Amino acid sequence: MVMMMAPGGSKQMARMAFEEGAEAVYVGVVGWSRRGSEHELVDEEIRELIDYATDRGKEVRVVVNTLPSSTEIPMFIERIEMYASWGARGFMISDIGCMRLVHERLPNVDIHTSVGCGISNYQDVRFLADIGATYVVLPYRMTPEEVAQITANTNVGIEFFLFKTPSGGKICPGKCMMSSYFSYRRWLDENGKDHFFGSASRGGDCLRVCQSNWQFSVDDVSYQEGMSIKTNPSLWLEELPAYLAAGVNCLKVPGRDRSDELVRDLVRFYRRVLDTIAEKDNPDLSRFRPELESFRQRWSTERSNRDRRLIGEAEREALRAARAAARNTTTNFELSR
Amino acid sequence: MFELSTDVASPTLLEQGDYSAYDALYLGDFSCPNFPNNFTSNPELLAEAVKTVHSQGKKCYLRLYAVPSNHDLTWVRSLIEAALALPFDGLEVHNLGLLRMLREMGCTKPLHLGVFGNLYTDATARVVKEYGVTRVYPNPELSLKEAIYIRDNTPIEVLIPVHGKIPLVISETCFIQEHTEGTTVGQCTFTCNEEHWLTRSEGEWSLKDTGRMTLSGSDLCMLEHVESLAAAKLTAFYVQSHGETAEFVSKVGSIYRQALTRAFAGIPVGDLTSHVAELSALARMGLCNGYYFESAGRRYVGRDIVCDTGRA
Repeated sequence: MVMMMAPGGSKQMARMAFEEGAEAVYVGVVGWSRRGSEHELVDEEIRELIDYATDRGKEVRVVVNTLPSSTEIPMFIERIEMYASWGARGFMISDIGCMRLVHERLPNVDIHTSVGCGISNYQDVRFLADIGATYVVLPYRMTPEEVAQITANTNVGIEFFLFKTPSGGKICPGKCMMSSYFSYRRWLDENGKDHFFGSASRGGDCLRVCQSNWQFSVDDVSYQEGMSIKTNPSLWLEELPAYLAAGVNCLKVPGRDRSDELVRDLVRFYRRVLDTIAEKDNPDLSRFRPELESFRQRWSTERSNRDRRLIGEAEREALRAARAAARNTTTNFELSR
Repeated sequence: MFELSTDVASPTLLEQGDYSAYDALYLGDFSCPNFPNNFTSNPELLAEAVKTVHSQGKKCYLRLYAVPSNHDLTWVRSLIEAALALPFDGLEVHNLGLLRMLREMGCTKPLHLGVFGNLYTDATARVVKEYGVTRVYPNPELSLKEAIYIRDNTPIEVLIPVHGKIPLVISETCFIQEHTEGTTVGQCTFTCNEEHWLTRSEGEWSLKDTGRMTLSGSDLCMLEHVESLAAAKLTAFYVQSHGETAEFVSKVGSIYRQALTRAFAGIPVGDLTSHVAELSALARMGLCNGYYFESAGRRYVGRDIVCDTGRA
């Protein structure tokens, strides 16, 4: 049976997703996942949600997919052990060193590789399985044939996003540092936790600079104006039976940073689609198309709003850094330990 | 005492370039296997190349394709088989699947984890070390102190890029080809030979694009910090020259060779103003320090830097 895993960008969003038929919900921990803190949960909320899910026979999976500092790892492991003791069934992790440590300490929890692992072939999947991964999330662009090659050559759970990139553009995330190149700031909080504003990989949110207006030129001759660098993924539907037949057994609804209402409606929609597919072979999914189109429009509107906000943050941080640099001119830096 | 290395994509570049300042060369362009005569995808070119590099008294490493799909694994395996039969001093790997494949193939050569290996922690360095990795290129987002922490706590050798554009994004598809009118997949005309730039007027942001890889607009420049690098006992340094001219490779190498030699001998490097000006003249979008001092990658702060020195 395929598991539908929905986002819990807020406690309310998570509860709605459970009510609409998600078997599991994934929630980010403040400071430890690849989203801004407004879409992450604090420990108390996570504990309440685990209890809520357990009472209903459902699951919570915890997203701790930043690529941490080496010195943060003990804190990282402590947190995982705490969530596991509360009943969290699985964890999304990017750093392969952390992945192995979690597997050694908690061999019975599920380890999902994060998108940050940037899988591109079945040998990657074998590597990750060797060090303890029980589910691997595959990139948006993989075809059913490529997924089938992976399932034929490996023995792990296959997780796939319910959105995909229809055409080219840069690979993201996992292999992109564009955001932090322009805007980045590191600081330590009172607990010694590292924070990296501007770095998606390190938990500071991607500031979506790729979605700004760029000019593409050869030498000094411009031939494209006002373009974005990355193609945005889109919600999809028709290929779902083919992906399930290829071996996908965990479908991930995206949208931790979308509205509670949009995620609620998406989960309801995909629940109906999956139930239709389960009922018979070669189901006709055409009747779902108009609804899918309306979801795509709502998705696109919310994404544009988010991108504008994040690009604005990138610009403000860049300005702040430039001003700070102008004020501070001399401080000794010593690399020797 | 130290090793200064750079990259060379093809036999033509190897023949035409002046690499006298370098101790080691990384052969191949790991981003695009379709580029003509790329060492990374043409095993028939390797024997002559490794012989040439060794005859110059340099170490010779081979770069493997960074983002192989399932269908690429067959040809990459053939390339590795050819490389293992030759006296390469090491192979650079970005992809974890290839790392596993190398172990399956019984590779005993030293392995270097490349920039897109996404190495952020000593815990990860310990994992890849078990697979034969002896040198790691930490993710560019790490500060120098974090790189040193990984070196000391794994322990493992770390490669420190000292100059050149920072690899920021890699893709399995070609951005230039996708945005060049009249070009279809499979009919590449290699317009990446010309310089492609992405610029944004608000904020004066810029990036250089080489098709399958996006690089920083500014050139990383650590010349003013070579004494700190030597004092920290870092030993492996790298000049990123993908997409650069022969003049860039030669001049940058020469300037760093001179400065590093003095720094490692304990001789003050002195006034570097003229050298920084030379490097700046080669950098169309200026210089930066990357993330080494915990600020946005594009900033350059020279010797007068602001940095939290508290912990790694």
